[in-house]
This record gives sequence, C-alpha cells and structure tokens, in this order.
Amino acid sequence: MVEPSSSSVAVPRGIGPTRAWFVRLPTQVPALALPVATAFLFLAAWQMIAVLGHISPAILPPPTMVLARLTENFSLIMKHTYPTTIETLLAFGISIPLGIALAALLVYSTVAQQALYPNIIFFQLIPKIALAPLFIVWLGIGPSSRITFSVFICFFPILIATAAGLRAVETNMLRLCRSLRMSEWQVLVRIRFPTSPPYIFSGMKISVTLAIIGVVVGEFIASQQGLGYLILFASSRQQTDLALACIAVLCVVGLLLYGLVVVAEKAITALYDFR
Amino acid sequence: MQPEISCERVRKIYGKGSAAFEAVNAATFAVEKGEFVSLLGPSGCGKSTLLMMIAGLETITGGRIFAGGSPIDEPRAEIGIVFQDPTLLPWKTALQNILFPIEMMHRSRTDYIERATELLHLVRLPEAANKRPSQLSGGMKQRVSLCRALIADPAILLMDEPFSALDAITRDDMNIVLLELWERFRKTVLFVTHSIREAVLLSDRILIMGGRPSTIVADIRVPFARPRHFAIGDTAEFNTLCSALRDEITKARGLRMQRDTDHG
Repeated sequence: MVEPSSSSVAVPRGIGPTRAWFVRLPTQVPALALPVATAFLFLAAWQMIAVLGHISPAILPPPTMVLARLTENFSLIMKHTYPTTIETLLAFGISIPLGIALAALLVYSTVAQQALYPNIIFFQLIPKIALAPLFIVWLGIGPSSRITFSVFICFFPILIATAAGLRAVETNMLRLCRSLRMSEWQVLVRIRFPTSPPYIFSGMKISVTLAIIGVVVGEFIASQQGLGYLILFASSRQQTDLALACIAVLCVVGLLLYGLVVVAEKAITALYDFR
Repeated sequence: MQPEISCERVRKIYGKGSAAFEAVNAATFAVEKGEFVSLLGPSGCGKSTLLMMIAGLETITGGRIFAGGSPIDEPRAEIGIVFQDPTLLPWKTALQNILFPIEMMHRSRTDYIERATELLHLVRLPEAANKRPSQLSGGMKQRVSLCRALIADPAILLMDEPFSALDAITRDDMNIVLLELWERFRKTVLFVTHSIREAVLLSDRILIMGGRPSTIVADIRVPFARPRHFAIGDTAEFNTLCSALRDEITKARGLRMQRDTDHG
C-alpha cells in the first residue's frame, strides 16, 4: 500500500482551524515570563486596591509598605529567621533517616508490617497540628519540643513514599534475585534501596514544607524567638506590614530548602541513572 | 544417560476451593543434555508457569521435576534464566550487570571479567560494556540479559518469551544471536514462545501446550541440520513444518473450545 504523501493532505494556510490568542503562547516567550508577569499583575492590583481604596495598613498594607518594612527591620527579621531555619533543617534532617529506616523495617519484616502499618495509616488521620500544645507540655518551651513536633508531622510522607519505593521492584527482578538465592536482606540493600530514591525524594518534597509548618506552629504556641513568634508579635500590635514581611521571608526559606531537595535529587538521579 | 530436565505429571493449581484454577495438569516430558526445546502455545496456556516451576520459582502442586537427576524444590545456581523484560539494574553498567550473579555467588568478579567480555563480543555488543541500560536499546538490553544468564556457565538455560517484547526486526536479530550462542556453548535450553517460526528456527524439539487444564499435547522433532542459518526460514520444508504446527495448535484450541461449550 502506498502511503499518501504529506503534501496531499496538507491544509492551506488560513483555512485550517484557528485558535484563540490565549490558547497558545508565541514560541519565543520564555517559560518564566508568564508566571512572573502574572505575579506582578497581582501585586499591582493589591497595591491599587490598598492605596486607592484607602484601606487601613493594619488590615491590608500595600506591597511597597511591606517591602519598606522588610528593609527597615531586616536585621531584626534575620535574627528571627536564623532559629526557624536551623530548627526546620534539624527536624527535616532527623525525619529523613527516621522515615527511611521505619519504611525499611516495614518492608523487611512481615511482622513489623502487620503490627505497625494499620496503626501508621490510622495515625495519619489524626489532625496532628492539634497535638502541638501537648508537645510543649511534654518537652517544655525550648527548641526540642518544636523540633520533635516538626519531626512528628513531617516524617510520615517520607515513610509512606519510601515504603512504596522499596516495594516498587518488578516481579521478574525479584524472581531473578530468588534464582540467584539472594537473602531478603541482600534484596533490600542491593535492589530495593537503589530503586527507591525517586520515591524518597517525592516524599521529601512534601516533607520539607511540613517541617517549616511544624516549627512555625511550635513558635506560635510558645517561643521567644523565630519567625512564627515575630508574626504573632507583629499581628498582636497590628503591625500587619511586619507580619507580611516575615511571611515573605518564610516563603524564601521554604523555597531555598525545597531547592536543596531538588539539587540533591538531581545529583542522586544522575548517579543512579533513572530514566 | 539420564535427561538434563525431566517433568513427571507436573500439575499446578492456583488458589483454593471454588476459586481454584488449574494452570497445568499432567505435563510429562524430558529434555536431553545439550538439547534446545521450545514450549509453544497461545498466551495463558501455562507455559511460563511450567518454566517457573522448573526454575524453582513456583511451587509444584503435583508431580515431580528433576534437573540434573535431583528433584527441584528451590532455585538453583546452575540454572540461568532470561525473562521477557531485561531486568537490568539501571545504576550498573552492562558489564557490572553481567557480573551481578557472580557477585551474589560470592565468587571473584575479576575471574569472570574475561568471560563477560567474550560474551558481549558473542552477542555483538562489545562497545556496550561500560554503558548504562538507559543508553541501550531494548534489543541490546536483552542481549546483556542473555550474557548475564550465561556468565556463571549454567548447565541449563531457561528462557521465558525473551524476545516477545521486541519489534519484529530486532527479534530476528536476536534469533540469529541465539543460534550462534547455542552453537558456541551447546547448553540445555528450554525456550518459551508463542511464535511458531521462532520455535522452528531455534529448536531441536517443540512441545505444544494447550487444552484445559493445559498440558503437553504434541512433541515434534525439528529435522533441520545444525548449524542453522536464518535463511532456512525461506525453505519449503520450514514452512510446511510451520503450518503443521499451526494445525496442531488449532486442534488443541478446538479441543479446549469444545470442552468449554460442553461445560457451558
């Protein structure tokens, strides 16, 4: 059979279906331009509403005012950013090995899996934020209670994702291992672990944002330092611009930590060649 | 001389009670040392199940399987297996993948590097030694997988539809590579396939599986001389044998359909 040549089926220009201008971007616009432009448009709208609407700065300060407050009180904000960042990093750093080790135990031991897994799922259903005050009761108002609480809410995604990753080995791969008479331990170390990084990293990406939430909630409840404390302090004095400046800095911290995970993921993926 | 592999009334039932499914029943056959035998049949006829039982990877519900004279009750190191998918470790190079069984057998890898390199040459992939699987095509990966199955010099090679995931042209290439490899090593091979032409080209004997529950319905000798070349596929004898096999398969399926209507 002869294939029809492409020219014989080509539709002349101007006759084919035309698309509305907002469906497709001109190809030369860089990928980042549109989201950045949209964000600026949003900020401009905010500015207009705040200024032209004569809204009290205690309710809605314009973005320029927030920016001014940020530069004015930069050293104060940085002083409080430091403990929040360190505590978040510690909580995240603890939750990674904890989540991975527990997942390995669940996959390695059938008894552990049957004893723990249903309970872990049940635990997931608890609104864990509600337990935050109890951590202050148990561990006091120091950093240890905030870090522990943060670990408590952020290790679950790593545990669940790692367990899924360790189980993601194909049937025939497992058959090959059995035919080579590998032990369960060997399969875990030699096959399951090297297979799981893509899963572990997807868990870590969720977990890193939860780690910040955990620390900030801890600071809301009882703390003399940290961005959570400063936000609470500023809000109580109706310094909404300072509170928003702190939130902007929290966003930057979150973005940097997330970026750290992405960089680590890229490095490990290149090493293990998942494609 | 005793056969390398022998199956005596082998039976496999999955599940229990009313949900029980009989995948294989009363499969009896033997494979001589150095013989290339194909298990041929339509999808779902239990040929892979039978192969996995011989590999020691599936439990046997009834009957007995012997390999090298002793009964199979667990996987053995002297049996090499090639699966439908290459099952290579993506973080290891082709050479490291080939040497993986050696590593797991706690033997010295350096003793086998020469053999691994020779195997890569035999499958015409010498340049792939230090490449990762992601850099190899599907056919190349399956060739690496073949090398891995042969690295420890197994007495028996079990192949579970090894080329069925490949395109037709690559599949022909793989058949040629496998013919050459078999000439070189003369292993006892049990080869599962649903391609009639592939079975005729490669095998000394073809066992047709069919019926319900499935069993060996025909045992046909392939008369063509060795060493064989791909071109025999164009001869009249080859095509006559292929159509005879097709008739046998149709007959086995007809039997099955008839039984189905009897039950229904």
